Amino acid sequence: MAAPSTSQTARPGSDFFLRFRRSRNAMIGSVIVAFVVLMALFGPLLTPHDPVKVNVLASWRAPDSTHWMGTDALGRDVFSRIVLGGRVSLIVSMSVLAVTLTIGTVLGMCAAYFGGWVDALVMRTVDIIFAFPELIFAILVAAVLGPGTLTVIIALSMVWWPGIARLTRSLVLGLRHEMFIEAAIVSGTPAHKIMRRHFLPNIVAPLIVRASIGVGFIIMAEATLSFLGIGIQEPEPTWGAMIRDGLSQLRTDPHLALFASLALGITMIGFNLLGDGLRDVLDPKVRN
Amino acid sequence: MSAVPILRIENVTKDFQIKRSALSGENLTLRAVNDVSLDVYPGETLGVVGESGCGKSTLGRTILQLTRPTQGRILFDGNDITRLSRKQLKAIRQDIQIIFQDPYSSLNPRMKVRDIIAEPLENFSSDRSAITRRVHEVMEIVKLPVAYADRYPHEFSGGQRQRIGIARAIAIRPRLIVCDEAVSALDVSVQAQILNLLKEIQRETQVALLFISHNLGVVRYLSHRVAVMYLGRVVELASEQALFENPKHPYTSALLSAIPEADYSRRGTRKYLSGDIPSPIDPPPGCPFHQRCEKVQDVCRVETPVLDALAPEHWAACHFPNVSDKGIRDGA
Repeated sequence: MAAPSTSQTARPGSDFFLRFRRSRNAMIGSVIVAFVVLMALFGPLLTPHDPVKVNVLASWRAPDSTHWMGTDALGRDVFSRIVLGGRVSLIVSMSVLAVTLTIGTVLGMCAAYFGGWVDALVMRTVDIIFAFPELIFAILVAAVLGPGTLTVIIALSMVWWPGIARLTRSLVLGLRHEMFIEAAIVSGTPAHKIMRRHFLPNIVAPLIVRASIGVGFIIMAEATLSFLGIGIQEPEPTWGAMIRDGLSQLRTDPHLALFASLALGITMIGFNLLGDGLRDVLDPKVRN
Repeated sequence: MSAVPILRIENVTKDFQIKRSALSGENLTLRAVNDVSLDVYPGETLGVVGESGCGKSTLGRTILQLTRPTQGRILFDGNDITRLSRKQLKAIRQDIQIIFQDPYSSLNPRMKVRDIIAEPLENFSSDRSAITRRVHEVMEIVKLPVAYADRYPHEFSGGQRQRIGIARAIAIRPRLIVCDEAVSALDVSVQAQILNLLKEIQRETQVALLFISHNLGVVRYLSHRVAVMYLGRVVELASEQALFENPKHPYTSALLSAIPEADYSRRGTRKYLSGDIPSPIDPPPGCPFHQRCEKVQDVCRVETPVLDALAPEHWAACHFPNVSDKGIRDGA
């Protein structure tokens, strides 16, 4: 029964958790991500102050025991706003991931499997979007649609799906001539079922890696859009807007920009470490 | 052997376009299969032998419509299947199946054995319990314990994986199975088991086999008739006995003399072919084999020989098929 399983055909999962625990990146990343996610889920229940309650008498407070991270120009509690801002960042990035992974994998698989004009249409569209710098294109879309949470999700989805589509296409092209695909064709399996049963399960690992690294980019991009004022609007707290507002008081009240930047930086590092770690764990080629 | 062939390959040619360079846009044509005509009868095994690159696998793939022939027709049950739409083709999938060479890449690593074998059945039936019953039935036929049904392919050895592939191919009760180098990747002892299994399945189900292999010993063991391919063409076609005992084409004789012989008294008659198989992009004029043939004459360099019936049920494409090569053998 000792079948020599090649790295390509081996089914990860059996020793996935073992390797995951051995990877320092993956462990540190997952702890940070777990902390951010828990904070986003349960933080609003625990925050000491109402994050949108204006109290002009308490504005520009330095951090103390009641306001752990101080207050902003309108006297709102910075700590509470950062906790809620994390929730906004996660909602935006998860929505963008859900949209782009769906669109990207479906279009990428169709392009690779059918080839011909389907491939040409999808990949030229991808090329056009890639021709713009990512953020410029997102800013353009956001400017056209007008600010708002939905706008941010749409704008970031539009710049993010081509990467997923291109990755999916190349992964599927690599599998296209595997004999189990031909066996499925010979068995009369319809195209949509071949994609679902044969391609998708064999390409999820690299897609997960790509997605977890992507979260960092999406959170950063959301912050940038909000920083520029074309993202999520007041009174909803977002890290990007908090950094923008804090910049003008950088000399006098550095805590405003500092804590929001820290939250953004730590979250991004967490997702990037998790993504790197997952790649080490899932990709047999870099495994040592 | 009944007189009506289940599969009739008629003058099939398959060309591949190869880009010479991206800049000039000049294309080269590689003729992988060149004007091949073969019949396969119900319940028989037709062996197809030849060196790597002779087009035998491409021929198999055109039969399954994994690639469409450039010219010619492939008739299954008298119906041309080369011009069917995707939808019409699906009906044919019940009748023609394939067993691949590589038992590793031919099974999806993320599917359970049960689901792999059930896949062709699910495409033509929605009766879950009947499918499960059939899966267990074919697992017994290929001698895999039913308890293994919920395991994944990487838990099996090469021979066991090939049994899974065979189970998948026979599950839907096809009438023709193309075996593309079905045992070439296996150990010799495992090869024998798989060959016996195929023989047994054929005896019970009367399935026709098109057995593609470079291994003459294996082909001889399984086949009723054998076609020898060289550079995309069939150069000799005969019953197993006639071909192995009385080869007419010098290429066939050379192939036969290359079979390892355990009997010492019969050694020393090896014919060696010089040179490589010519490029199918730029085939030589005349007989495709003339550059390597010991009996070559002037006419061979000019005129391409056609498949001639030299005896009942024995065809060869050679200008001098009856010239004895006894002298060459003894002299070596």
